[in-house]
Amino acid sequence: MKKQLFWWGERALLVFVAVVALFPILWMFLTAFKQPLDAYRVSIFFTPTFNNFKAVFDEPWYLGRMVMNSVIVASVTVMISVPCASLAAYAFSRFRMRGRKFLFFLVLSTQFIPAVVIVLPFFLMFRQLGLLDTRLALIIVNLAIVTPFVIWMIKGFIDAIPVEAEEAAMVDGASRLRVIRDIVLPMAAPGILTSSIFCFILTWNEFLFALIITRREAVTLPVGLVNFRTERGDLWELMSAAGVMITVPIFIMAIIIQKHFTRGMTAGAVK
Amino acid sequence: MAEVRLENVVKRYGGFTALPKLDLHVNEGEFLVLLGPSGCGKTTTMRLIAGLEEITEGDLLIGGERVNDKEPKDRDIAMVFQNYGLYPHMSVADNIGYPLKLRGLGKSERMAQVRKVAEKVELGELLDRRPSELSGGQRQRVALARAIVRRPQLFLMDEPLSNLDAKLRVTMRAELKHMHHEMGITTVYVTHDQMEAMTLASRIVVMNKGRIVQLDTPERIYSEPADLFVADFIGSPSMNLIHGQIAGGTFTAEGISLPVSAPDRAKVVLGIRPEDLQISDASTAPIKAPIFALELTGESTLVTLRAGATQLCARGAADFRAKMDDTCGLAPRPGGRIHLFDPESGLRLPS
Repeated sequence: MKKQLFWWGERALLVFVAVVALFPILWMFLTAFKQPLDAYRVSIFFTPTFNNFKAVFDEPWYLGRMVMNSVIVASVTVMISVPCASLAAYAFSRFRMRGRKFLFFLVLSTQFIPAVVIVLPFFLMFRQLGLLDTRLALIIVNLAIVTPFVIWMIKGFIDAIPVEAEEAAMVDGASRLRVIRDIVLPMAAPGILTSSIFCFILTWNEFLFALIITRREAVTLPVGLVNFRTERGDLWELMSAAGVMITVPIFIMAIIIQKHFTRGMTAGAVK
Repeated sequence: MAEVRLENVVKRYGGFTALPKLDLHVNEGEFLVLLGPSGCGKTTTMRLIAGLEEITEGDLLIGGERVNDKEPKDRDIAMVFQNYGLYPHMSVADNIGYPLKLRGLGKSERMAQVRKVAEKVELGELLDRRPSELSGGQRQRVALARAIVRRPQLFLMDEPLSNLDAKLRVTMRAELKHMHHEMGITTVYVTHDQMEAMTLASRIVVMNKGRIVQLDTPERIYSEPADLFVADFIGSPSMNLIHGQIAGGTFTAEGISLPVSAPDRAKVVLGIRPEDLQISDASTAPIKAPIFALELTGESTLVTLRAGATQLCARGAADFRAKMDDTCGLAPRPGGRIHLFDPESGLRLPS
């Protein structure tokens, strides 16, 4: 009896948490298909329309440009950060150099600094360099934010690889770089993929720096959402449509991550 | 094939000295076993030879050439690891063929050689499997095949059999010995198992606390241990070591009085192997004590007596029967060896 009560209580709590977490997302998806008039109505019955998705890509919103900016900034950040971070993580994991622990702490400590504190120096720096409102500036900033985190993540995966396979390869005749290419990278691949997607999501959702550094040309999707707060009021149906555009790629990536993450945890056992 | 020389080799890790000063000469084509308890420096020595650790001081020569600063890949060696060190993301064939791939061999030639070696170690059927789909013994064979697929100057084996079950260990031991006989490649083999060392080695290096205690053939290590450590470490069950004194040509300790041909000494350790003792009539035997344990091993019975503080083990006939706590007599077997050691230095006394 008591056990059953606990069972029901547990379910109820889970359902409650799920509703609180998922309802806003559901509401956003619904609103994205509503007419402007329906947007304020608390009803789930309405005539769906695709007009919102069309409208956000047209004048005056030009969401297409923001999508391009977001895709380019996030992809380039991943493409630079993950290879560099992989090599750094390997060094931190395997080389017993002097000051290794301190250096690693230094890398991680960059994550302790609140973004708001350093956004102004970044702004001044990019103004000096004439890089304000460019994708390049955003890529540089995101690299600075994301790379330490990715180093830390990939290091965890490399730590889990038995060093004996590497030593065997070295004795078999491989150079250090060859060992990394032939042995470490394939074995750490699930972890590196997971880290890449994490890195992509972080960059994709980055808001504060993009808000301060960009104005027109390099505006990314999260910042672009603010544009839908106009003098005519908040255009919820358009904002929701844009929100769906931001969310869907991340959803897909989350599903990929899930599959590879479990594989990353179980692979690599030799003995 | 090559000879290996370690000259005044020192290895320090920060403040810790693993090898204080090592001189070792491995002859061309020999099977040298480094034997010792864990932490004695045997694995460190092997890793120095492989180039997986840096030498702090001294010289390492392989085939007459100083290789201290050479990368492992340039030393032309093959190594078998305790945990096999297989590449889990590659098939068995790719694992075995990897050293050839690194040397730029084409795919077809590589596969031909891999097949030949795989046949030799009876892996022919398993070439497409992943290491995770193999049993321990099969993985061991893959590691071995990867080592012999090219003919290196030198084989290094770091406790290759220690993860196998007892039965498989004996079979693999014979295979290793046969393989060495066939290929004749200089081999350095690390183990803490004295049985493996005795059966495989051309010569054994017994190590303790980073130093070489004795370097000799298995026969001489067994019959003339250089000190108490070696005497105690080699042999199963190990040598009986009895503290006592010698006066007037007789060694005495509690319950024991044995005639020995040695000068008088106030303190001495007498060593005698279980198989050099035989059961004899309790009334006349030089050693008399109650039976502490009887263990039938199949081919013989191990009789343990308790003489004062020391326990004495003797190998008796398989059909020997007695009751526990009965007094039993032991005498040295004619032609059996008696060893004498200095209890202070532990060194063997000349007899």
